[in-house]
Amino acid sequence: MGKFLLLAFRNVFRNRRRTSMTLLMVGGGVAGLLLVGGFFAYLLRGLRESTIHNGLGHLQIFNAEHFRRDEVHVLDTGIGNWRQVAAKTRTAAHVRGVAPRIDFYGMLSNGVKSAVFMGSAVDPDIERSMGFSPYLSAGRDLGGNENGEVEALIGTGVARSMSVKVGDGLTILAVTADGALNGIDVQIVGIVNTGYKEVDDRYLRITLPSAQRLLQTDRVTNLVVGLDTTERTDSVAAELGPRLSGFAQEMTLRKWIDLATYYKQVRTMFNGIFLFLGVIVFFMVLMASVNTILITMFERVREIGTMLAMGTPRRWVVALFMVEAGLTGVLGALVGLAAGNLLGALLNASGLHLPPPPGTTFDMHFRVLYEPGLMIASSLLVIVSLALASIWPAIRASRLQIVEALAHV
Amino acid sequence: MDSLVYVDSVSRIFPLDHRHVLAVDEANLRVEPGEFLAIAGPSGSGKSTLLNLIGCIDRPTSGRIVLDGQDTQTLKTERLAALRREKIGFVFQTFNLIPVFTAAENVEFPLLVQGVAAPERRARVAAALESVGLASRAHHRPDLLSGGERQRVAVARAIVHRPELVLADEPTANLDTQNATQLIDLMRDLNRSLGLTFIFSTHDQRLLEHTPRIVRLCDGRVVADTQAAEVNQAQLSAPAIH
Repeated sequence: MGKFLLLAFRNVFRNRRRTSMTLLMVGGGVAGLLLVGGFFAYLLRGLRESTIHNGLGHLQIFNAEHFRRDEVHVLDTGIGNWRQVAAKTRTAAHVRGVAPRIDFYGMLSNGVKSAVFMGSAVDPDIERSMGFSPYLSAGRDLGGNENGEVEALIGTGVARSMSVKVGDGLTILAVTADGALNGIDVQIVGIVNTGYKEVDDRYLRITLPSAQRLLQTDRVTNLVVGLDTTERTDSVAAELGPRLSGFAQEMTLRKWIDLATYYKQVRTMFNGIFLFLGVIVFFMVLMASVNTILITMFERVREIGTMLAMGTPRRWVVALFMVEAGLTGVLGALVGLAAGNLLGALLNASGLHLPPPPGTTFDMHFRVLYEPGLMIASSLLVIVSLALASIWPAIRASRLQIVEALAHV
Repeated sequence: MDSLVYVDSVSRIFPLDHRHVLAVDEANLRVEPGEFLAIAGPSGSGKSTLLNLIGCIDRPTSGRIVLDGQDTQTLKTERLAALRREKIGFVFQTFNLIPVFTAAENVEFPLLVQGVAAPERRARVAAALESVGLASRAHHRPDLLSGGERQRVAVARAIVHRPELVLADEPTANLDTQNATQLIDLMRDLNRSLGLTFIFSTHDQRLLEHTPRIVRLCDGRVVADTQAAEVNQAQLSAPAIH
């Protein structure tokens, strides 16, 4: 076996120029996939974490009714005993915090103009402790204690639409849990830029007690659970499920991925693009390699005839060519891994910025993540491609007529 | 004693364009173990074809070849390959060494194919190279060897697995007189010392002068099978010249 592999290895470098070109082609394919895949991974990770830390959290606990029917009145499918549920949730390992939230909507008015808002009510201290702080373009976050004015954060689009700034006042109107109309005056303490124009045009955030006074209820829509790392989401969800049984209201648990519709759409799109690129690389390597291996085979016809004349089993000839192709694939993959990682490091150090993606308002760093799974997949792709490319030439070589092969010039 | 090789009314026809070429025509031949035999004739007389048939790298159109008691016509491709692996060694006109292997590794190749264990392979390779006088060149690749040295490596490769029969197709065609003479003497030495049966095709008079038996072909037919008149018993038992 060792001598057989040695023969294959030496044959790979028989024509160094041709082998170098093949390695460059294969390595280029791997490096390209690593850079593109690593960039996509960076984008997705950023999107994942921003999705989670911009309010989605790692897990959310709901009243099970919330997903069975629409609300008749505000928060009639909310969680009544949320304090007990939150307390039990905090006992699970890796839970960083549990934040009660109310989602509600209504109208904003500056006395002259009105606009619809999509609001959330939070406990600011808990939100901050969990790292769920909105990105402020002006002002400050909500305070924990509202001894006087009711504080509010609004989106940049709302501020522009209502022609208001930090320190100005607005009136909020909403329907209460009883179906009546209620309103409160709020003071703007901060202006939020989420990076998504559609969100910023409707954004409103007030404190939980203020919202409960406005809506005349002590319920919350859900409890948002923050973990110490995103990677523990599945394990904590599995642990929490049994703990949430036994309450008067049936509780249900959702992971962030279940609720992050936009993230899933982006991920599916990126996966599709990457798969398409992978198919292109696969077939490019395959087609180019078939040609190269055939040329190699024709150059060695007499040698193959000699081996067959000496009684070498034909399957050895097939195996020899396939092993040579596999070795070339491995070497090409190593070249690609080295080049891809080096180029990735250089790009990461370059400080390159890309313009804001559509629908966002922030430009972003160009970075490439190192993904072991991606390295393995890209390497296997080219190795398999080369191995497949060698099958036909290998079988052709093994079926050579010995006499004709020996006479080959 | 049964013949080592029995060629029984063998013919070989090759299709060529819209006609057929009768390369070997009803050839009959018996070769006994330990013989040193030349198949001679002009170009196109069927020498190489007959040698290929005896070596089981080609199949006769009619007739049969019995090698060491086995009718090769009844054997499938894989069994023929095994037969060649075990019982036949080949020496080619153009040496046909594997260029990426050293001399030792080339000689080792038939033992690799047979599955011989590494320690035994090393010992037999060393002995084979020693027998052809190339022990000092064992680690040189073919491109660093002269033509004569390459052909001697080829002879070592042909005998390392202790075959019953060594077939050489025009082994001296690409060698100068000195190297050709040395090769011939080497082959005669191996024939005498190891009892190896040599059959070679040639039109090289230098080789024929040292050959005790010559089978002459003309247009694919065996026209003569003689002990060479100028090679008598005294020459056969004379010491070889190196």
